[in-house]
Amino acid sequence: MFRRLGRHIKEGFLGVGRHFGMALSSSTAVAITLTLIGVFMVLTYNLVLTTNTIESSISLSALIDYDSEDQVNLQRIEGKIKEVNGVSSVTYHSKEDEFDFYVNSNTDPELQEFYEAYRDENPFRDAYIITISDGTMLQEVTRQVEAIPGVYQVYDGGANTYKLVDVLENIRLFGGILVVALAALAIYLVYNTIHITIDNRKDEIWIMRNVGAKNGYVRAPFLVEGIIIGLFGSIVPILIIGGLYYYLYNALQGTLFGTFALAAPFPFLYYLAAVLAGTGILVGFIGSYISVCKYLRIRR
Amino acid sequence: MIKIENVSKTYKNGTHALSNISLEIKDGEFVYIIGPTGSGKSTLIKLLNGEEVPNSGTVLVNDINVGKLRHSKVPVYRRNIGVVFQDYRLLPRKTVFENVAYAMEVVDAPRDTLRKRVREVLKLVDVADKSNVFPAELSGGQQQRVAIARAIANKPSILIADEPTGNLDPKKSDEIIRLLEKINQEEKTTILIVTHDIEIVRHHPKRTIAIDSGHITADLAGGGSI
Repeated sequence: MFRRLGRHIKEGFLGVGRHFGMALSSSTAVAITLTLIGVFMVLTYNLVLTTNTIESSISLSALIDYDSEDQVNLQRIEGKIKEVNGVSSVTYHSKEDEFDFYVNSNTDPELQEFYEAYRDENPFRDAYIITISDGTMLQEVTRQVEAIPGVYQVYDGGANTYKLVDVLENIRLFGGILVVALAALAIYLVYNTIHITIDNRKDEIWIMRNVGAKNGYVRAPFLVEGIIIGLFGSIVPILIIGGLYYYLYNALQGTLFGTFALAAPFPFLYYLAAVLAGTGILVGFIGSYISVCKYLRIRR
Repeated sequence: MIKIENVSKTYKNGTHALSNISLEIKDGEFVYIIGPTGSGKSTLIKLLNGEEVPNSGTVLVNDINVGKLRHSKVPVYRRNIGVVFQDYRLLPRKTVFENVAYAMEVVDAPRDTLRKRVREVLKLVDVADKSNVFPAELSGGQQQRVAIARAIANKPSILIADEPTGNLDPKKSDEIIRLLEKINQEEKTTILIVTHDIEIVRHHPKRTIAIDSGHITADLAGGGSI
C-alpha cells in the first residue's frame, strides 16, 4: 500500500520533470488565475472589513418619555433593549449629557451662553445610544425598541441609513460573487490546460491499460502531477500578493485614505496563502481527474 | 489454451470483421495467423486481448470467457496475455528498464523480484546494455526487443505479436522471430504471431492459420505448402 503510494508520488514527480514544458504551462495558467483570485480576495476581504466598520458605527438613539425618567423605569427599559435580538451595546445618556453635547457642539461663545440660559428648562430627553451587530437588522431593532413602553421615539437616521446598509450589503455580495466566478473560471482554464497535457499522453494511458494496469493505477500518477502543478502554480501568487500587501500595508500605515483600517498582514496572509494553495491543489486534482477519466472511459 | 467457438464480430459501422470462426490453440504452441489487410486478424487479437467483445460465440482463454469479462476485470486478465505491436508502443518518457519494470509494477511485484526479472528478460532479448536509455535512442529492432521483454516480464502464458516485423528489414525480422522461438522454447509461452509477411513463415515454418474476409481459409500444421 505505502510502497505503491510512494511509487505513484515518485511517478508524479517524474511525470512533471519529463513533461516539464506542459507542466510549466499548466502551472502558469494556475498562477495567473490564482493571482486574479488572490487580488480579488484581498480587495473583497478589506471591503467587507470596511463595510463592517461603517456598519458597526451606525447607532440608534432611543429617546425616553418624560414620565419614565425615574431610576426604576430606566433600568427596566435598558434591560428590555438589551434583550432585543441584534443589539450589541447600550449606553445611557442623561438629558443633561444631551444638553451639554448640544451646547458644546456650537463653537460660538455667544450662542453657547444663550443656550445655557435654558438649562433649567432642559427640553432634551434621557436617551439610550444603541449599537447593532448587523446593519441589516437596523429596521427590526428600531421597530422592537420603539414598542418598549417608556420609549418616546427611536431615531435611526432615516431612509439614508437604510440605503447605506443596502449599499454595503450589495458591495459584499458583489465581492463574494466575483471571487466565486473567478474560482470557476480558474477551474475551467486549468482543466483545459491539463486536458491538453493529458491529451498528448493518451497513447501512454492506452499502453498502461494494455499491460494490465487498473484504472486507479493509471490515474494515480496523473493526479499527483495535477496536485504538483496546482501547488507550484499557487506559490508565485502567494509570494506576489503576500509581498505586495505587506509592502502596501506598511507604506499606507495600515489605513486606506487615512480613514478605513486595512486588515493586518498577519494572520490574514497566512490564511490567504492556505486558501490559494488549497485552491491550486484542488483545481489541479479536479482538472487531472476529469481529463484522465475521459480516456479511461473510452476503452474497455 | 485458446478456444474460439463460432465467433462473429460486426462493428457498429456495419463492417463484418469475423464470420462464425472456430479454432483451438494448445498451450506452448507457436502459431502464425496470416491474411491480407482487413481480413479480420486484428479483430481476432482484440477479442483475445479483451479489447472487443464478440457479437456471438465464445472466446475462451485459459478457461476464461473473455467476452463475458466485467470491465473492471479486464486489466487483471491482460496480465496473463503479453501483446507486442508493430509500432512497439513503448512509453517514450521511460527508460528501457522502466518500460519493462512498469508491467511488473502494475501487478505489485516485490522490488527485488522485479529488478531480477527485468534484468533477466532484457538479457534474454539481448538489450541488457541499453537499460538506461530512452526508446527514441534505440533502433526499430531494439525497440521491438524491449517491447517483447515487457510483454513477457510477467511470464504470461500467451504472447500475441501483431505484425512484430512490420517495420523491420528482413535481417532484423529474422532475429525477432528467432527471439520469439527462443521464448516459446525457454519460457514455454504460447506464441501467436499475426503477420502478412509470408517470407517469415517460409523461413520459420510453424502451424499457420489463414484468414480472409472474416473466414478461416486454411489451418496448416508446420506451415504446409506456404
